[in-house]
Amino acid sequence: MTMTKGLISAVSALAVSACLTAGPAAAGEVKIWTLTFDNNSANLAWDKTIKEFEAANPGITVTREGRSVDEHKAALRVAAQSSQGPDIYFMWAGLGLGGEFVKAGLSKPLDAYYQQYDWDKRIVGTAGSFSKLYEGGRHGVPYTFHGEAIYYNKSLFQKAGIAELPKSYDELKAVAAKLKEAGIMPMTFGGTVNWHLMRLMDVILEAKCGAEKHDQLMDMKLDWGTEACATASFNELADWSQNYILKPFMGIDNSQSFNLFLANRAAMMVEGDWLVGQLSDAKKIDNFDLFPVPTGTDRLYGFAEYLYVSSKSRNPDEAAKFLDYLLSDKVQQENLGAFGSISVNSNVKYSKISALDQKWLDIFGEYTKIYVNGDQAFPLDVTTEYWRVINEVASGNIKAGDAGKTLQTFISNRG
Amino acid sequence: MPQASQSARPERQGYVLLAPALIVYLLFAVYPMIDVVRMSFSSWNGLSPGANFVGLANYRAIFTQDPVFWGALRNTIWWTALAVTLPNLVSFGLALALNQNIPGKSGLRVVFYLPVIIASIAVATIWKWMYDPFFGLFNNLLMQFGLDGWILDWLGDRKVALWSVFVAHLWQSVGFSMVLFLAGLQGVSATLVEAARIDGAGRWGVFRYVTLPALKPTLMVVFVLSLINSLKAFDIVYGMTGGGPAQSTQMLAMWAYTQSMQLGVFGRGAAVSVVLLLITLVIVLPYIRWMFRREEMSR
Amino acid sequence: MTLFSQAFRPVGSAKVDPVLIALWVSLILLALIWITPFVFIVFTALKSNATVMGASAFMPPTELAFENFAAAWWRGNFSTTAFNGVVITVIKVPLGLFISAMAAYALAKVPMRMNKALFALFLFGTMLPFQVMLAPIFRQVNAFGLINTYPGIILPYLAFGIPYQVFILYCFFSAVPKELSEAARIDGASHFTIFRRIFLPISLPVLSALLILDFVATWNEFAMALVILQDPKMWTLPLGLMSFQSQFSSDYGELNAATIMTVLPAAIVYLMFQRYFVAGLTSGAVKE
Repeated sequence: MTMTKGLISAVSALAVSACLTAGPAAAGEVKIWTLTFDNNSANLAWDKTIKEFEAANPGITVTREGRSVDEHKAALRVAAQSSQGPDIYFMWAGLGLGGEFVKAGLSKPLDAYYQQYDWDKRIVGTAGSFSKLYEGGRHGVPYTFHGEAIYYNKSLFQKAGIAELPKSYDELKAVAAKLKEAGIMPMTFGGTVNWHLMRLMDVILEAKCGAEKHDQLMDMKLDWGTEACATASFNELADWSQNYILKPFMGIDNSQSFNLFLANRAAMMVEGDWLVGQLSDAKKIDNFDLFPVPTGTDRLYGFAEYLYVSSKSRNPDEAAKFLDYLLSDKVQQENLGAFGSISVNSNVKYSKISALDQKWLDIFGEYTKIYVNGDQAFPLDVTTEYWRVINEVASGNIKAGDAGKTLQTFISNRG
Repeated sequence: MPQASQSARPERQGYVLLAPALIVYLLFAVYPMIDVVRMSFSSWNGLSPGANFVGLANYRAIFTQDPVFWGALRNTIWWTALAVTLPNLVSFGLALALNQNIPGKSGLRVVFYLPVIIASIAVATIWKWMYDPFFGLFNNLLMQFGLDGWILDWLGDRKVALWSVFVAHLWQSVGFSMVLFLAGLQGVSATLVEAARIDGAGRWGVFRYVTLPALKPTLMVVFVLSLINSLKAFDIVYGMTGGGPAQSTQMLAMWAYTQSMQLGVFGRGAAVSVVLLLITLVIVLPYIRWMFRREEMSR
Repeated sequence: MTLFSQAFRPVGSAKVDPVLIALWVSLILLALIWITPFVFIVFTALKSNATVMGASAFMPPTELAFENFAAAWWRGNFSTTAFNGVVITVIKVPLGLFISAMAAYALAKVPMRMNKALFALFLFGTMLPFQVMLAPIFRQVNAFGLINTYPGIILPYLAFGIPYQVFILYCFFSAVPKELSEAARIDGASHFTIFRRIFLPISLPVLSALLILDFVATWNEFAMALVILQDPKMWTLPLGLMSFQSQFSSDYGELNAATIMTVLPAAIVYLMFQRYFVAGLTSGAVKE
C-alpha cells in the first residue's frame, strides 16, 4: 500500500511540475525571442519598451528571452517542431536564414496587420522591402537595418603614415601592406564563430566578382568551381589570412577579437554599425573611425534584422499590437541609437548624435543597394560548408585553387 | 488449481514492481533507439509535418558526399583508441603508486579524483581559458621561458586542436579509472604477495605474476567503461571547439547532433547515429554476454 | 611525525625504500600539475579584465575583484539555473533509485518467466550511450509535449539512469541469502512488504553510494539538457555556463567566476561524501 502511495506521490509530483511549467499560455501573453545583444543599451531599451507597453496595455504581458546567435538559431529550429515556441521571433531578413523559417511555415503572413496599422507609411523603404521577398504574403517587420564597414584605429593609421583612406580594393591591400611594414597587424578576426571570418570572404567576393556575379554565386546559379572570380577571391582570402590578419585567429571568437582591436593589437576590423555602441561603452570611441569596404560596386555590405510573428502564436493580435508600438515614432525616436544607429522608422529625426553614428547616417544615405552576409544568403547546410571551406583556406589546408571546386561539389550533391 | 493461482500472484507482484522502471526505460531509451534506425531511412527537415521514406539515400550521402563524416569517424576512432590507453596507463601507474606505503595517500587521491566530479562543460571552459592564445596560461608560460617558437593556437590549429581537447579529457578522466584500479588492488591477496616475496620474487616479479593476474577483471571493466565513455565524447568537444576549426575536431556523436538539431537534416543525422550505434554494439555486445554469463554463474 | 616514521617502508620491511621516496616526490609534483587549472581559474576570477590582459597570467591577483562573482551571478542568471538544477536533481535522483530498486528486487527475488530476458534488456541499457541519439530523444519528448518542462528532462534522465542502477542493485540483492526472504514469504508477506521491510533497509549503504554518484551525474549533465531545455528559464547550471561562455567570452574574470560557481556545489558534495564515491563506483563495476 505504502509503496503504491509512494508511486502515486512521485507521479503526481511529476504531474504538478508539469502543470507549473507547461500550463497553457495566459490570455494576452506575448513571448519574444531575440538575441542577447552585444550592445547592452539595446537590451535595456527592449526592457524599457516592454514595460511601457505593458503599462499602456493592461492584460497583455510581454516577456523577452535573449540568446547568443548560434543558440538562438538552434532554439528556433526546435521551436518549429514543438508547441513551445515564441509569439514573436527575431531573425535576419532574406531568403537564406529568414527564408528557411518562412518556407517551413513558422512565420505568419502579416498583410492584414500591414493594412490595419498602415506600417508602410512609416517604415523606411529599403528596410521594409525584405518583407515582400517571400511567397504567400508579407512576412515580418523590420527591426533594424545594418551596414558593415571597416573600422580603423586612427593612431595606428597615423603611425603607419596612412593619410588617405583606400578607395578601391587594391588600395585597401596597399594600406594593409603599409601597416604591416610599420610593424602593425592590419586586421583582426575571430575564427571560432565562423560568421566572423566569413565577412572578409563576402567583401572580397563583392570586390572581385562584382554585384551581378556575386549574387549569382550566392544564389548557387553560377559554378563556384569554374568561375574564375571565385577562385581569385579564395586566393585573396588566403593572402589576407597568411599575411594581414592578427594571428592566431582561429582559436578566438569575435568578442575576443574586438578586445584585441580595442587594445591596439590590430588596425582594422570588419564590423557593423552596432560597434559604435560598443566602442562608446568601452569609452574608446575617439580613437576609431570607419569607412565602407571599398569594393568598387555601388552596394553597401549589410542586412536587415526582422521580427516575425510565429504562425503558432496564440495571440497574434497582441503580438502585432506590440510590434506596432515598437515601430511607433515615439519608441523609435526615444531609443534611437540603442537598437541601431539608423531607425527603420522614416519619421525619426536625427540630432546630437556621435560623429561615428553621423558617418553611418551619411553612408546609409549614400547607398541604395545592399549585399547581404553569406550566411543569410545560403541555406543552412551550404552555409556550414561555406564556413568550413573558408576556414580551411584561411588555415592553409585547402589550396585556394581547389576551394571553389570543393564548395561546388557540395552544392551539386544537394540535388 | 490453488497452486496455480498461488504462483501467479507473486509473479504479478513482480511485474508491478518492475513496471515503472521498465516503462520509462522502454519509452525514453529503447524507443528512441528504434526510432533513430527508422529515421535513418527517411528524409525529414525537422520543420515539415511528415517524413518520406528514402531507402539508403542518407547512408549513401554520408558515406560518399558528406565532407565531414569520414573526418569525424577518424577522429572518433583515434580518440577512442587513445582514450582507452593513455589515461588508463596514467591511472594504473597512479593506483600502483598510491597503493604503496607512502604518506598523504588520501589527500593525493582527492586531488586526482577532483576533476572527475566537475561538469565536462566546466572542464571545457577551464581548459579553453588556459589555451587562450593571447592571455591563457600555456602561451604565457612559454613566453616566460623564452619558448616563443612553441606558442600555438591550441584550439585553432587543426593539427593540434583535437589533441589539446584530448589533454583536457585526460585530466578529467584519469581519476575515474584510478579509483577502479585502487579497488581492484585491494583485492590482491596480501598473503600471495608475501609468499612470492619469500620465494625471492623482485618488485617486477610480484607485479607480473601476482598483481597483474589478480587485476584481470578490473582491467576488463576499466577498458569497457572508458571505451563507452570515449564514444560518448560530446560535452567537452562541444564546449571547447564546437567541432572547429573547419570541422577538424568533429566527432560522430556531435556530427549527428549538428546534422539533426542544427542543420535540420534529421535523416542524415540519424544515419550518422546508426553508424556510431553499430560500432558501439559490436564492441559492447560481447562484453554484455560475458557479464551476463558471469551473473548467471554466480547465481 | 608518526606518519613519516612508518612511511616509505615496503610491507614487512623495516628499511626505508629510496624508490618509494622518489615515487612519492613525483606523485606530489604530478598532483601540483593536477591542481594548476583550479589555481589558474581562481586567480583569473579575482582579476579585473584590465589586469588579465595587462599582467602576467600566473601572477596572483593583487586587488581582489570579488565583483566578478556578483556580476557573473547576475548576468549568467545563476539563481534560475541553480534552482532548476536543484529541482531536477531532487526529483530525479531519489525517484530513479526507488523505481530501480523495485525493478532490481523483482528481477532478483521474484520468480518470473521473463526474468532472464528482462535482465538482459536492462544490461544492454547500461552500455547504451545516449549522446548518440539526442535527436530521437528530442523527438520522443516532443511527442509527449514535454520540451522545456521538468518532466521532459527527468523522464529521459530516468530512462538512461535506470539500467546501471538496476544492474548494481540486482547484483546486491542476488547476494542476499534466500532464507531471509523465504521465511517472510512463508509468513504470508507479499513481495511489496518484503521489499519495503527487508530489502530496502539492508540496501541503504548501496543506495546512498548510488545517490551521491547519481547526484553529481545529474547535476553535471549537459548534452540531453541542451536539446530538451531550450528555454533559458529552464536551463541548468551547465547550460547556463555554456551560454555565458559564448556570450561573454572576453570578460575573462567573470567567465572564470561563473565556472567556479558552476563547479563548486558538486565539488563540495564530493569532498563531504568522498567515501561513498569510491564505494558507489566500485560496488557494481569491480565485483568479484
